[in-house]
Formats: sequence, structure tokens, C-alpha cells
Amino acid sequence: MASESSDEGGNGYEPKILVFACNWCSYAGADLAGVSRLQMPANCRIIRVMCSARVRPEFVVTALSKGLDGVLVLGCHPGDCHYSEGNYFTRRRGLLLKNLLQFVGIEPERFQVRWVSASEGAKFADTVEQVTEQIRALGPNRPRSGNQSAEPGDR
Amino acid sequence: MDRQKISKADLGRWLDTIAGKYELIGPTEDEDIIQFGPVQSSAELTLDYANSLIPPKSLFFPPVESLFAFRKRGKEIQLEETKPLQQDRVIFGIRNCDVGSLSLLDRVFCDDLEDSYYRERRERTTLIALACPTPPRSSCFCTTFGIDPLSPAGSDILLTDVGDVYLVDAVTDKGEKLVALGEDLFVSLTEGEEKELQPPPVDMPQLDVGGLRERLETLWEDEYWDKLSLPCLGCGICTYVCPTCHCFDISDVGSTADGVRYRCWDSCMYNDFALMVSGVNPRPSKRERTRNRYFHKFSTFPSRYGTGYACVGCARCLVHCPGGVEITEVIKDISAKEGVSDR
Amino acid sequence: MEDKLQELVVELLGDGAMEYFIGYRQGFEPSHVVPCFVTDQSEADRLIWGPLCLQNLSKYVLQARDLDGKVGLLVKGCDARAIVELVKQHQIERDRVVVVGVPCEGQVDPRKLEQVLGVPMEQVIDVEDAGDEFLVTVGSEVRKIGKEQVLRDKCFFCKHPASFDYDYTLGEVQPFTIDGDSEEYDAVEKLEGLPLEERRAFWQKQFERCIRCNACREVCYGCYCKECIFDRTAPRWLDRPPLLRENEMYHLIRAVHLAGRCIDCGECERVCPVNIPLGRLYKKLQKDIAELFDYEAGMEYDTVPPLVDFELDDQDPFL
Repeated sequence: MASESSDEGGNGYEPKILVFACNWCSYAGADLAGVSRLQMPANCRIIRVMCSARVRPEFVVTALSKGLDGVLVLGCHPGDCHYSEGNYFTRRRGLLLKNLLQFVGIEPERFQVRWVSASEGAKFADTVEQVTEQIRALGPNRPRSGNQSAEPGDR
Repeated sequence: MDRQKISKADLGRWLDTIAGKYELIGPTEDEDIIQFGPVQSSAELTLDYANSLIPPKSLFFPPVESLFAFRKRGKEIQLEETKPLQQDRVIFGIRNCDVGSLSLLDRVFCDDLEDSYYRERRERTTLIALACPTPPRSSCFCTTFGIDPLSPAGSDILLTDVGDVYLVDAVTDKGEKLVALGEDLFVSLTEGEEKELQPPPVDMPQLDVGGLRERLETLWEDEYWDKLSLPCLGCGICTYVCPTCHCFDISDVGSTADGVRYRCWDSCMYNDFALMVSGVNPRPSKRERTRNRYFHKFSTFPSRYGTGYACVGCARCLVHCPGGVEITEVIKDISAKEGVSDR
Repeated sequence: MEDKLQELVVELLGDGAMEYFIGYRQGFEPSHVVPCFVTDQSEADRLIWGPLCLQNLSKYVLQARDLDGKVGLLVKGCDARAIVELVKQHQIERDRVVVVGVPCEGQVDPRKLEQVLGVPMEQVIDVEDAGDEFLVTVGSEVRKIGKEQVLRDKCFFCKHPASFDYDYTLGEVQPFTIDGDSEEYDAVEKLEGLPLEERRAFWQKQFERCIRCNACREVCYGCYCKECIFDRTAPRWLDRPPLLRENEMYHLIRAVHLAGRCIDCGECERVCPVNIPLGRLYKKLQKDIAELFDYEAGMEYDTVPPLVDFELDDQDPFL
């Protein structure tokens, strides 16, 4: 199917990871990492949001169910949210969602939340590196087609 | 073909022979639910059931099926048709209410607008109906709609349990072909047996549906629908368990460059079923949608397709409706001679 | 109890205190109980009460919001949690509903009863509460069944709002207690204890059966969005076809949208036509929310729902 992320098995599997980065801290941190010419794997696709609290659970669930290999939500450190409180909500929601995903059998590394500030270019690069390798080690997120036909001729 | 019999012990052997040549589908139990599903051997079947929850219309008109796949390569669009069936099939254990529903669905999918997916499934499937255990479930009312739980009409073979054996009525070529597979397992009845081996008569309350349609058609603006729709949750369960309901939605999954076009079940009880792009909704509230449902079953479907009422009395809807809306009550209410009774 | 209820409803309808009353009545067979909308005094004698009155009727309150007058509702203590939440979530004004509380000593799970009796529910004529037992009339025989054998799972851990302001009660409405040897989150913990792959296989098997009839959503008191996210076409979060991945999304997203609001009424699981154990999914979130945020939905009017609240020292496993 079109939006399935990666080739099955073996060599040549490159995980596709979706990153939500909040405008004021983590996106700026990402920018700093870029300007500082820090090396990091190129598997992440970044979507900028104004605040990490903008990330609704359906963003994460849809991404994983449709076959993206991982989702990473980056926000300001708790206490430093540009909007004062947003990331406190992210913290609560993220924890519940992470537990729920794990409960239905999705590897916990596939959904992560990290706090990256605007001055932490190095942390951004390290986070990307770490998360990419963790998710790479898990293998492709098998698209869940089950026994109902997702492809013609399956039935 | 004359009536024959097969012993209960031999039924499994015959079905296993069938499973060797066809895809055998029959009633199975999983998580307390009876479903019609493919089996490798007769051992996987259950005979301890009244009827399946999801009706066997799902085997001809599935809850989801891919119609075709498409791929865009440059300026060219490649289409890949889906083959509905890999193998000819035999469905064992279907009840006469559901057999009756297939005749109604045939009007929709096989008449002037032919649906090749449904049609192929219908043509390549042989039906072995299993007469209902008597007494039928207390909720059943198929005889109200002219269905006989003990008749082979509409199926290819009818099996009737009469104690140690099943009576076997093969009434079509397809049916006879299957019986031939069993060869020595089938024995013709002696004259004595013809008289002796009879199932008990069906004892089922029958509702009076004489003049139902005419009376219903006078009630379009009646307040009855406001009251009836109060407990309705618009959940759609009635549609999904009904053997004659056939509304569907079509949608593409994937991207415009690479995807699959699906057909899937839909329900007119949903708020957005008739909602149009302009924002206009001809059935904006539960009142209109509930009214529409009963009009469809008892007026518009018969009128459109020249059939009897589009209900087979299987009672699934009234058993499973969380709001307790009961089609039998609706029929009684409409038929009450003094006009609609105060419910 | 039924007489008291019927008299009360006749009185309230006569006074014009409410436009209609929502209770329970018998359906097509004795063991089948369905919602009853009493719009006229003459219909009040249809109202019943018993251990098979399983529905949580609070959802119907939402459709009564457009009425000029009030609507009356029969609630078990557990159902009253929905009223608390609806008021907290600003979906109804408390004084639009005339809440009649009924004492409940535990409800019967029909599936369990069928197993214990060995006969289908259609042969059950009556179920009566008798202290530690239920008196079950099957045909002409009355059988005594120990409550713990056939009780609904949630009744073992009966929860009522801390102190609810019933407009009327038909007796003393308080939580039901029974000695059982299970713990509230046993089913959840059992799944948590399985290896990841087995958990995944379990849930995939469940979600595959889903036909996306949406009954779980329609019956849920907490699903009241004017336009459900799953019905939206722009953006299109979910496609209609009941493919496994779509079904998975549906259930996970609905569960998270109800996090902190689910009152464990069990309606979603009860109405599911393919018997998906939705309760276990929602119970997992309830467990986490109770442990992490010390909160249970529907218990008190003046507590803040956990997902619109925070503490500075909330658990933070994120680096």
C-alpha cells in the first residue's frame, strides 16, 4: 500500500519516524542542531506545532496504524512551556497513551516524548540518533492488514 | 431427486468429502458467537446453534471487500481487478430465513444493475440449508413473511433433523452434484419411512401483515415515529445484523497514485448517511431515519423490486437492539385496526 | 419497588414536573429488558425493575436537552456517575434531569447465567434478587443461583458517586458489596503480564472481528460530539471499511478520548454484536488514571477531570 513505510526485512530497511516539534523550544533546538552542522540520521520527518500539547492522540495512533515506524513528540521542559502549561498536559497524555499502546502490543519505543529546549542542539541530535537506532532495532512496524483484504486478491 | 436420508454419524464424512473439493463454510463458535466461516473439516463446525449473529449475506455481500486496485505509473493508470472467489464454495447450515433473504438481495444485485462480485459468489456457491430445530427460537417469526422453515425452496439441499438421521432434499442440479459426492452415505426412503420420518410441525406465532403496506403508507406524517425513535440510539446494529439490509459505502484507501477501492457496509440509521455536500440532510433526525427504515422494509423495497416485504422474520434486529426497538411491535402497532395504538 | 416507581412517575407526570420519564420495561421475552419512555401516565405500569435492568440510560438525557421541560431518569448508583460527569463536562444542567435512584443489589450477566443454567436466556422467565442469591425461574422451575456465579463483573467492585443528589429514591441507594476472590484490575493485569507479542496477537484477533457498527460509540454517555472525529471527511482520520488497522485506530482513539471520563458502565461491551472485550481496554486507562492521578470519573462534582489538569510533580518518565 502506498503509505506503508519501508521495505520488508533485511538490508535496506530505513525506519520512517514522525517527529512533532514545538515551535518555541524543540523546533528551535532542531534548528540549532542544523546550524551547528551536527550529524544525525535522516529518518525523521518533522512537523512543527506551536506547542507539544497540540499533539492529539489520533495523530500518534493514526501514524502508527498506517505503518510509520515511530512517533516522537518533542516539547519544552516542564516549567518552561512558552504557553506556561501546555507541556504539563502533554506529559499526562503522553504517559497514558504510551501505556495504552504498550497494552495493545505496540513496542514502547515506537512512541516517545522528550523535552528539548531551544539551546539544546546537541540534545536534539542525540535524541534523534538514539530514537532512530531504537526503532531501527525493532524492525519495520508491520502494517496491520489482518485477514481482511488490504490488497486485492487476498480474499 | 427423491427424498433421501443420511445418518448423523455420516454427515461429517460427507462434509469432509465436500471440504476436499470446495471451500466449505459453516457455523462455527468463537467467543460465544456463532459465525459462518470457512473450515478445513467438519470437526470445526458446531450444530448447537439457533442462527448466526451476522447473517450469511456477509458471504455474498461482505462487510468489506476490495473492488479493484489502482496504480498510476506516469500518465498511465493500471487497474487490477479483484477476484471475488478463489474456489467454488458450499455453505452448510444456512437457515431458511437467510435463504429467503438471498432471494431479496438477488433483486438488488442481480436484476437490471448487475453486481458482478455478488453474482459470482451466488453462482459459485451451493447452499445446504439446515431446517430449524423445532420449536424455533421464541423470537422467530419467519412464517409471517411466507417462509417455511421446513421447505427446500431457495436452497440447493435441505437437511431436516428427525432424530437419528437427517432427511435430505436435493432440489437443484448443484445440490444433486453434492449428494453424488456422498454416494453410499445416502439412502432413499422406504414408503414406510416417508410417512414415519416427519419433523414436528412448525409452531410459530404468526403476525397479521395483511394490508400492512397500505396502512403504513397513510402514516408518513404520523406522530408514531417521534415516539418510536426515542429509544433509538442510531447505532446501526439493526442494519448490520439484518439479512436483507444492503446499503453500502464506497471509498478509496491509499493515495491517488496507489490505492484500493473498497465497498463496505453502511447504515441509513447514521446521521450522515443521507447528508449531502451542501449540508442538507433529508433525514436530519432519528424520527425521519426510523420512519425510513420501516417504510423501506414494508413499502419502498416491495414497490421498487416487485417483491413481498423485505423482512424474513429472523428477529436479529429486535434481539440485538440496545434501545429495544422491535419490528414485531411496529407491525402490530401499524396493523391495529383503529389506527396506530398508543405506545 | 415497581409499584412505588410507577406511582412516583404518575405523580411527576401529573404535576408537569417532567415531560417524560426514562426507565426500563420488558421486551419481546421476559428476560429481555429494554428502555421505556413513559410520555403519558397510562404507560407508567410498563415500568419494571430487577437484576436484568442492565442498560445505563443516561445517554438519553442528552437528546432531551432541547425540550422545554425536564426529563426524568431512573438510575442505579453506578449510572449516576454519568450524570455527575455530564454536569461536570457542561453537557447538561443538573436541574434539567429529575433523577430517581433505585437501590440495586447487583446485576446479572446474561452470558454467565446461560452458562450456569445450561439453557438459553429465552427460557428464563424471571430473575429475582434474594440476598446472597438470585431466584431464577426457568420454565416452571425456580432455581437458586449464588450471586457470585452470575454477577456482572463490574458489580463486584460497585462504585457510586460519593454523595449524589438524587431527586427521589426508591429506598436506600448505596454501593453493593460482595466477597469475591478477584481484584478490580485482574483482567487488565493478566493481559499486562503477557509478553508483548501475545498481547498484540490478542488484540488483533479482537479488532479483526469489529464490523464498525459504531454501537459502542452510540451507546456511550461520553460520546456526545456533534460531529464525531470518525465521521469527519476533512481531515479523514478513519476510512469506513472495517480493515484491521482502521478498527485498531477506532478503538484506541475512542479509548483515549474517553480517558478520565469513562465510568465503567459496561454498555460498550454489552452491546457489541461481536463480543469484543472492550471493557479491558477502558479498564486499563481507568487503572492508570487511578494510579497516576488518583482520580475516578463520576465520583464527585467538584474534582477536575485529569486530562484538563496537571500537577507540577506529575510523574515524568520522559527525559
